[in-house]
Amino acid sequence: METLVQSASYLFDLGVIIAALAGVTWGIMGGALPGISPSITMALLLPFTYTMEPMSAIVLLASTYIGAEYGGSVPAILIRTPGTNAAAATVIDGYEMNRQGKAGLALGISLYSGVLGSLFGLAMLILLSGPLSRVALAFTPPAYFALGVLGLSVIATLSGENLVKGFIAAILGLMVATIGTDPVTGGTRFTFGSSELLSGIEPVMIMVGLFAMSELLVQAGRRGEAERVTSRPRIRFPDLKLARRLAFPQSIGSVIGTFEGVMPGAGGTIASFMSYNEARRWSRRPEEFGKGSPEGIAAPETANNTVAETALVPLLSFGIPGSNSTAILLGGFLIHGIVPGPMLFQRSGEIVHGLYAGLFTATFGMLVMGMLLLPACIWLVNRPRPYLNAFIFALILSGIYSIHNSVFDLGIMMAAGAVGFFMRMLRFPFLPTVLGLVLGYLVESSFRRSLVLSGDDLLIFVNDRISLGLLTLAVLFIAGSLGKRIYDLARRRRVEAFSQGSEARE
Amino acid sequence: MRKQRILAAGSAVFMFGMIAGANAQEDYPVDTVTLITHSSPGGGSDVFLRELSRYLGPILGANVVVENVRGGSGAAAMANLAQSTPDGSKFYATTPTFIYTSLLSDPEYKYTDLEPLVNFFIDPEVIYTSANSEYQTLEDVIDHAREGRGQWGAANPASLERQALEQLKAAADVNAAVVTHEGGGDLLINVLNGTLQIGVGEVQEIQSQLEAGELRLLATFSDERLEAFPDLPTVEELGYDVVVRKFRGLAGPKGLPDDVIAAWERAVQEVLADEKYKAAYEAANLRAAYMPHEEYAQFIEDFGNETRVFLKESGVIE
Amino acid sequence: MISRDLVGGLAAVVIGAVYLYFAYQLRVSALDDSLGPSGMPRIYGWLLLSLGLILTAQAVLSRLIGPPPAAGREALRGEWEGQGRRIAWAAGLLAIGAAYLFVVEKLGYLVSVALLILAAATFLGARFGTRLLAIAALGAVALWAIFALVLGVSMPSGLLGRLGV
Repeated sequence: METLVQSASYLFDLGVIIAALAGVTWGIMGGALPGISPSITMALLLPFTYTMEPMSAIVLLASTYIGAEYGGSVPAILIRTPGTNAAAATVIDGYEMNRQGKAGLALGISLYSGVLGSLFGLAMLILLSGPLSRVALAFTPPAYFALGVLGLSVIATLSGENLVKGFIAAILGLMVATIGTDPVTGGTRFTFGSSELLSGIEPVMIMVGLFAMSELLVQAGRRGEAERVTSRPRIRFPDLKLARRLAFPQSIGSVIGTFEGVMPGAGGTIASFMSYNEARRWSRRPEEFGKGSPEGIAAPETANNTVAETALVPLLSFGIPGSNSTAILLGGFLIHGIVPGPMLFQRSGEIVHGLYAGLFTATFGMLVMGMLLLPACIWLVNRPRPYLNAFIFALILSGIYSIHNSVFDLGIMMAAGAVGFFMRMLRFPFLPTVLGLVLGYLVESSFRRSLVLSGDDLLIFVNDRISLGLLTLAVLFIAGSLGKRIYDLARRRRVEAFSQGSEARE
Repeated sequence: MRKQRILAAGSAVFMFGMIAGANAQEDYPVDTVTLITHSSPGGGSDVFLRELSRYLGPILGANVVVENVRGGSGAAAMANLAQSTPDGSKFYATTPTFIYTSLLSDPEYKYTDLEPLVNFFIDPEVIYTSANSEYQTLEDVIDHAREGRGQWGAANPASLERQALEQLKAAADVNAAVVTHEGGGDLLINVLNGTLQIGVGEVQEIQSQLEAGELRLLATFSDERLEAFPDLPTVEELGYDVVVRKFRGLAGPKGLPDDVIAAWERAVQEVLADEKYKAAYEAANLRAAYMPHEEYAQFIEDFGNETRVFLKESGVIE
Repeated sequence: MISRDLVGGLAAVVIGAVYLYFAYQLRVSALDDSLGPSGMPRIYGWLLLSLGLILTAQAVLSRLIGPPPAAGREALRGEWEGQGRRIAWAAGLLAIGAAYLFVVEKLGYLVSVALLILAAATFLGARFGTRLLAIAALGAVALWAIFALVLGVSMPSGLLGRLGV
């Protein structure tokens, strides 16, 4: 309570307000540019924060972070390009809605869900920091392994009509994740002497390739055969009926987001995919998912915006950054001689209160900026197809280049695009590839770390209670999906095909 | 959109103001010195360099800017530097990482293609355990590992910390699993929740937990006791012949002119003695360990050779 | 009949085999854990190989027990109709991208990206003319302003940079 009152007093602090609004605006822009990740967006501001007041500096960086996490959904919906890793799940139904001419509504849902998720996460951060930080501590290496497996279990339902193809796609992703430096020995794997590959392949390059580049290639092949529906350049928020329908997927997203956020290393991408999958599992209209379901936008967008808030829990309570973005925020603290961790609240309580107030202001800034900027974005994507696609091509080539200033990365992205093109032609789903790519490192490193800990005793995964619980859940999920497939098959019903991205059978 | 431009433009103007203010009275051969780091903005080396650049500029008589050249754990930065002109305009912030990367992944340009300039600091590496754990001394930990099996943690695979623990394990002749992580934060969590008996890291990484009394220090890998913790024994004193020196210095392209080297040797001694800077770096638990050019070059060569021997003996490299 | 699944299955087998070949060459070191750097890659490789074989078998079986292969040629055409043309068009766009990679460090970002928009839009069916030229120039300047000016990314400067612009 006391925290709330003290934070509220900063709501009218001009420095905090300006920093929050500037940060969130800058963040939305950075997040919306493919390849410019939230951490890069923040890093670009970092040098300027040296000369700022500590409180404004921290608020500026943190607001940039939440703006960027939201901004990623804009290109995901409009041009099938996830602006951030965590927006990959939003592409599925967001881009479908856009194709049906409902871009305004899709963007409205993502903005509205983002704001809700952000507020929920902020409430958790302010009120439950203590208990949540204990959750972070309880996660040992076997528990992280189990978490990764739970994430991978989603593949069983995202594989479309042919499970074998889904698994093949997933293993391709896992294979890409093995490129780079070995997590245990530090030796190199599959780098073929190239220094560009030493730190592995950034998932966003593959995602942009698979989603955006392959779409450009497919459209080049169609040469305007397909009908195109354009959307009115207006943002539409859901009406009461739709809002009521979205409440449940949003609750799923915010709960999953809260937990994934506090665990260092788990992150927004897993949270949004898991929320998407759960929203689909519990939805009354699961058949709409993948064909432009509003719930399919609401769940992941609520989740990744919640993550952006609760990811501050381990940073503030332990001084441990769980992701690249929070690492930069940590840098922001250190620059001003403030050390986050157990002593933070006693020593620099006012900074924390100012930060809470700033995040609150930033959330509303996000709503306002979204409403102002988005109509122009819809107008842009309504331009004639050849111009639009040429421009998207130029945009993704520029964005991916700016990750490491490397032409080599552009080659990787285009290769991923070509692979995506053939996967679509051969009717392979590529969501499993994205999941494998994102989770591969986590699963492998925590599996091997656990075995090192236990001296190669596999019982460590059963003895750890969290690990046991999550693994059981994963087994139940997989068994459930398999059971449903067999049941559908036995009833001679067409297996409910759910496979985004692969070319539909004509 | 407009707002960001104003923000960016405003900040840019501010930066130019700073640069102009820092401008030179001495005649260093170039106007702007770029310090390259492979660490990402906000990372350890980055924060250290940006802090340093503030004080160094006026003393050196040039504008000092920091640039992040990421990729390949330093391989990209080494390539960038090795191909630049040796006119004193570009240097690379060296930590043991650049030697490990050179040896492990055999990039096109290695640490031997660079010329070590001077050293600034040696970061003390300490062994710590959770305050709730039963281990009061390093000996307790070693005994536990001798009787059964120890679980010790290092922040990164194939790093200086890992090497230190492997050497300690060999010196004590005990059975311990050395578990590697994805950075210091990961490691810290596993020490705090009791998964690991001990972790190794720099004092600055665990400062907050130390102050809050959540961690207990057991020993330091430095060659002598630390000023800030006079009661903390060194590992060497305890009878295990392992000393770790995590250096922070600069390196340039081969063939640096003598006047540039001389200018740096003077400037670095001066900046390390600067009262304000001293307060800042001592608060961050950095230990000044100035080494002039010749000594530092020899130091890097020895360090490289020792590391190569370790990696070869353990079979990581050929 | 060669179905899409058959091609996919065979491709998976080939990728799995190549990956396995490299996985077995990974170095062994004393710092290794029991699974080692090559442990997971080997598992992935074998899994991909076997899944590829299963998919191939599925494709062959479905042909044997599926609808009569009377219209063999017809079915083949149905399965692959128009795909060759699509691949050709896609390859064309990819070639424009490859050309961009090739010239961007020589010509610099601004010029290359303008050429890229020009070439890609023309290739995708826009009419070549002053309007397109203007759009390409404006688009390139806009992208350059966002990435190089506002975000401060050091894009390749190329020719313009060397001329001191």
